[in-house]
Amino acid sequence: MSTTTTTETAKRGLSPRFFGPAAMSFPTWAYALFFFIVPLALIVFYSFGYKPDEFTAIATDRLSFDRYPEAMSASFVSTFFATLRISIVGTILCLLIALPFAYWLAVKVSPARRSLALALVMVPFWTNFLVRTLGWQIMLSPDGFLSNWLQGLGLLDGPLDILYTRSAVQIGVVYNYLPLMILPLFVAIDASGKKLREASYDLGAGKVKTFMRVTLPMAMPGVVSGCLLVFIPLNGDYVTATVLGGASGSMVGQLIANQFNTAQNWAVGAAMAMILIISTLVVVGLGFALLKLGQAITAKLNSVPLQDGRA
Amino acid sequence: MTSTATSAPSAETGLDHLEIQGVKKVFGDNTAIERLDLNVHKGEFLSLLGPSGCGKTTLLRMIAGFETPTDGAILLGGKDIVSLPPHRRPVNTVFQSYLLFPHMNIADNIAYGLKQAKVPKPEIAQRVREALALVQMEDFAGRRPEQLSGGQQQRIALARALVNRPQVLLLDEPMSALDRKLREEMQLELKRLHTRLDTTFVFVTHDQDEALAMSDRIVVMYDGVIQQIGTGEDIYANPHNGFVAGFIGKQNFISAEVASTDATTATLRTANAVLTAPTLTLRPSTAAGEPRDLTVGDRVRAAIRPERMHVAPAGEASGDANTARGAVISYSFLGDVIQYMIVVGDNDEILARVPAAGREPISAGTEVELSWDADAVTVYDREPGLPAAAVEGGA
Repeated sequence: MSTTTTTETAKRGLSPRFFGPAAMSFPTWAYALFFFIVPLALIVFYSFGYKPDEFTAIATDRLSFDRYPEAMSASFVSTFFATLRISIVGTILCLLIALPFAYWLAVKVSPARRSLALALVMVPFWTNFLVRTLGWQIMLSPDGFLSNWLQGLGLLDGPLDILYTRSAVQIGVVYNYLPLMILPLFVAIDASGKKLREASYDLGAGKVKTFMRVTLPMAMPGVVSGCLLVFIPLNGDYVTATVLGGASGSMVGQLIANQFNTAQNWAVGAAMAMILIISTLVVVGLGFALLKLGQAITAKLNSVPLQDGRA
Repeated sequence: MTSTATSAPSAETGLDHLEIQGVKKVFGDNTAIERLDLNVHKGEFLSLLGPSGCGKTTLLRMIAGFETPTDGAILLGGKDIVSLPPHRRPVNTVFQSYLLFPHMNIADNIAYGLKQAKVPKPEIAQRVREALALVQMEDFAGRRPEQLSGGQQQRIALARALVNRPQVLLLDEPMSALDRKLREEMQLELKRLHTRLDTTFVFVTHDQDEALAMSDRIVVMYDGVIQQIGTGEDIYANPHNGFVAGFIGKQNFISAEVASTDATTATLRTANAVLTAPTLTLRPSTAAGEPRDLTVGDRVRAAIRPERMHVAPAGEASGDANTARGAVISYSFLGDVIQYMIVVGDNDEILARVPAAGREPISAGTEVELSWDADAVTVYDREPGLPAAAVEGGA
């Protein structure tokens, strides 16, 4: 009799846990756990390890912080800041290009043609990242068609000298990450709605004022998510830099990949990855702080102090 | 704001302030508005009333500047404003869904228009406070729109428009999202504001009660055409055509044929009764037609308002010119009146509203004597496009 009660209790206690919401959300938490938390924890753990000998990639029997100073060699630090520059400039360029485009798409294009325009934004995404980047290699090469045209038009004296430089990487990342900026911006501007813009026009604001006071502030969540979607993967990108950057345009992602793949020194690679992750978070945090500060200042400037109005 | 408004002379009332001249609007193959002329007097409360799709909102949006007329002119104070973009027109709109800016607090929402007009900050603060007081929302200045109920958001939308002192305030079905009690409160409030401010109000609604409760004049629209313009009483008592007769208030339409006419009255024969109408004029079914004289043999619709019907127990005599014998199908007690559904003959259903006045309702199934004065009857042409059989009813 006591056994039946226990089984019943167990049944009642366990079944919701195994077959309730936890089970439904299995794909979500399993994905987060096995493809994010576990690998990240391994990277953290490995960054405290060391490379014991020529033929072993990692050992963790002695843990120390020694890999971190080792990772921060002069070449890593300079590449690191170059990467940061490419990422920040790339994010800003993406924002500057995507904002008018997303506005045009959400406001000016008729709904019937909008899906076509959105599809055109997405189509390059259906092609392999590497192939698209290789396409830029052809385009930017000194004897490529762009170079020839520019020389033909008399805009350039000699062959285009841009491939395997930081500028080529910059162009490449803006191209590769632009859709990730356009889509959230489009969604945000579209959601702010024609009706609210009409309300703004009705109250005497022209198109520019309406954009600055209504559309853009309301699209801020889209701007933020677009910047995150572009900046974070861009900061760790190494394919674009490998294909277009050559020796002078390398990014920190390549150095990390080299440690893992070529040098087979997982400890130093993990330490580099940790430095990249933490610095990315710091930059994102700074970005947020700047945004909040800017919003607070504009709010202060735009608000009407009802109390002080009448002395 | 209020002090200047109340002291302002209203001598100009009656002047044509907003003139809509021959305005036409075509969307693709669809004509929304057909050559419309309308003069709105300064300081009046004018309602555009009609079923959805009648063009009333399109007309309002053309006045606001969100739509450009295909043809015609819109004059405000004698000046054509068609070429002006919405933000340069001295009119403001209260929108159906309020459309408060969600990222601004209430005070900033109201101040928005004044900031665009580059009004000095102290004056903005002053006017925003007055506007908040006007709609009795002083304590809400620092709130966000999403923290307000629908009725409160509506008041703020009103304050946000009125604070700019527009020459014309446009209201686009502003109360359709409110519940009935709140709507009635807002109607009184809006009427009070209008009386106080001397601003021209153009109010779009599909709700006839709303239009009747508030308007100085009502413009009844149907199918992009003005059907009738007049005061509420005028439109209710003297509909110019069948559409207006049926749209404003409740109406009993009875299919009939003109049996005979004499000098002042016509005798109509219906399936179940003979009735006398005090008129020789046949009113058209819509504004597209012209009134004409009744002739014997015309197939028509006779209209009688439910409240003009008298209901008495069968066999009781009444002094009315027209009588019919029927049976009560159902009744509803509405407080001040009792509404009967009475069937005459096989299928003529007649609605009658009689004052309750402490009387016991007549129960369903009872035979009754329906009667009404001759002058309660108006006569309209059959609806165009309907096959004769459908109009004839039980004839």
